[in-house]
Amino acid sequence: MFNFWVPVGFRFGAVALAAVFAWLAVGPQTALLVALAGLSVLIGLHLYYLKKVSDWIRQPDALEHVGDLPPAYGAWASVFAELRRARRREARERDEVAEAFHRLVEAASALPDGIVILDRGGIIEWCNPSAEQHLGLDLARDRGFLILNLVRAPAFTEYMMRADFREPLILTDTVAGTTISVQFLPFQKTRRMVVSRDITRFTRMEATRRDFIANVSHELRTPLTVVGGFLEQLIDQPEIAPAQRQRIEATMLDQTQRMQRLIEDLLALSRLETQSGPDREEEFDARLLVEPLVAEAQALSGGRHRIAVDAVDLRLRGSPDELRSAFANLVSNAVRHTPAGGQIEIRLGAHPDGAQFAVTDNGPGIAPEHLPRLTERFYRVDKSRSRETGGTGLGLAIVKHALARHGARLEIESEPGRGSTFRAILPAARVRMVTESALPA
Amino acid sequence: MEKVHISSQFDADLEAVRSRLLQMGGLVEQQLRDAIGAYSSGERELVDKVRRTEDAVNMLEIELDDRCTHLIARRQPTAGDLRLIMAVIKATTDLERVGDEAAKIGRIAGQMHDTGVASLVGFSDVHVAANMAIGMLKDALDAFARIDSAAADRIVKQDKQIDNEFRSLLRELITFMMEDPRTISTALGVIWIAKALERVGDHAKNIAEYVIFVAEGTDVRHSGPPADGVL
Repeated sequence: MFNFWVPVGFRFGAVALAAVFAWLAVGPQTALLVALAGLSVLIGLHLYYLKKVSDWIRQPDALEHVGDLPPAYGAWASVFAELRRARRREARERDEVAEAFHRLVEAASALPDGIVILDRGGIIEWCNPSAEQHLGLDLARDRGFLILNLVRAPAFTEYMMRADFREPLILTDTVAGTTISVQFLPFQKTRRMVVSRDITRFTRMEATRRDFIANVSHELRTPLTVVGGFLEQLIDQPEIAPAQRQRIEATMLDQTQRMQRLIEDLLALSRLETQSGPDREEEFDARLLVEPLVAEAQALSGGRHRIAVDAVDLRLRGSPDELRSAFANLVSNAVRHTPAGGQIEIRLGAHPDGAQFAVTDNGPGIAPEHLPRLTERFYRVDKSRSRETGGTGLGLAIVKHALARHGARLEIESEPGRGSTFRAILPAARVRMVTESALPA
Repeated sequence: MEKVHISSQFDADLEAVRSRLLQMGGLVEQQLRDAIGAYSSGERELVDKVRRTEDAVNMLEIELDDRCTHLIARRQPTAGDLRLIMAVIKATTDLERVGDEAAKIGRIAGQMHDTGVASLVGFSDVHVAANMAIGMLKDALDAFARIDSAAADRIVKQDKQIDNEFRSLLRELITFMMEDPRTISTALGVIWIAKALERVGDHAKNIAEYVIFVAEGTDVRHSGPPADGVL
């Protein structure tokens, strides 16, 4: 208040004073002229400043041109200061709102779930990158297009037309092998939001679980049917010939053992899966672990294969039991799947990444399409053949898990007709090479 | 360049026809996928579904022809609008043919699985060609939806690949048949399917060409409300 009235008072006072002097010195007419001239100058100045302010305010980015305002003059000083302050506050608030808005858009863009915003007519207004990926859209190009023109799966059209969005829609792309779930949500009265989610992994897991249960049941039912059938026969015919009885009992025992093996493998697998690291951390001589495996392989082969061994001295750190079971599975696989007369080579040695345990055979080999799925439980390359070789179908799954717990990996190379190499590669952190030079002289 | 139409009802009709065509495309695309699914799995249900879809596709063809005829008669469109309607009419025919090819694939797949083919020769190679054909059809329809002549241009060039794929599959099957005459009936089925896929590629190429035809001088972006801000 004071800032405003004091300078105004001064200026008008000065004009009045000049007029009074003029009156006293010359006369009333001159005094009126002086007063008129003084007031005109004051009004002119104020009009000039008013024009400046009105020009300045009209500029869209008024704050950047704050310097355009003339230096404060009289009563205008407080007006200018007030205006500048208001402009600054406004700009700050606008920046804050913009910042919050950008944060929201970025958050929506970073979501793994896809979001598409549609107007009343189903025209795309906005979508995030996940939605672009899930539904094959491209926001830069597709804004303003009908979503039905771009997502053309008949099920999607039907879902959108039916307008019953309580349940999500599942879209399966057989070519890309992906499964996407889509759901519509009401949004801002007239708009609609489409939420898409990639459930490929989930559906695949679900399928694996279903397959697993079906497989376990199937694997257990076969021997149980055999045992059950023979037991019925034994009850129905108590006076069976001893020789036949013996044969039946041997088969029953064999089938029982098979079920037992399967259960043991399943338990081993579930144990391996529940813990993340090896059950023991001790350093041991890998050669001492491999040598008995060779003897076992020879016993299993019964002289039908030539088995060569090449093992260097090295020490490993981890669980000897788990690694032995992994290596033993690789060796027995090679023996069981290589026809008589084949050659099997077992190698333990250095590898660029640490150390390797490799089993190479010259058996029938594995077609490339089977390789990625080989470590799946109960995955059979040849469904008719592998059960007769006595495997449970869990061996390589156990190998994979046991190795993974040691930070090791399984590599499989194979060529149909030429043979296969299964290679367990152990990381350098778990290996200590015992070279000739390191031995005490 | 904002196009100002005197009659916005006409615009809506034009867009509705285009949407209907793309829906027909989606249906045919699904039918083709199902037909390939029937070939790889032999599921009876898929074979039936492919056959059922054929009726729906034919109905859509009749409806689209009817709508286009009405549009031309009532509105006498010119320039870009006329080009778009012409393209829709032509693409309808192509899509209907793709539907026929898909139905054929489904039928042959059903027969092959019914007669109990032990091992399907050239089985996985057909999948390469099938994915190529499905991809081309999808891209062509996408290009139609966006009136994207650059994408359409790429599809036209891609057609050569599927032709090459067909020829190499043919050579492979011939060696199979010469080695073992028992594979002939299976191989013939596979050839029919591969030929159908090659035709699908041709139709996709045709659709892409219509897109280029429409794109010359037309902006068919949907004239919906202007997008306000980022959202």
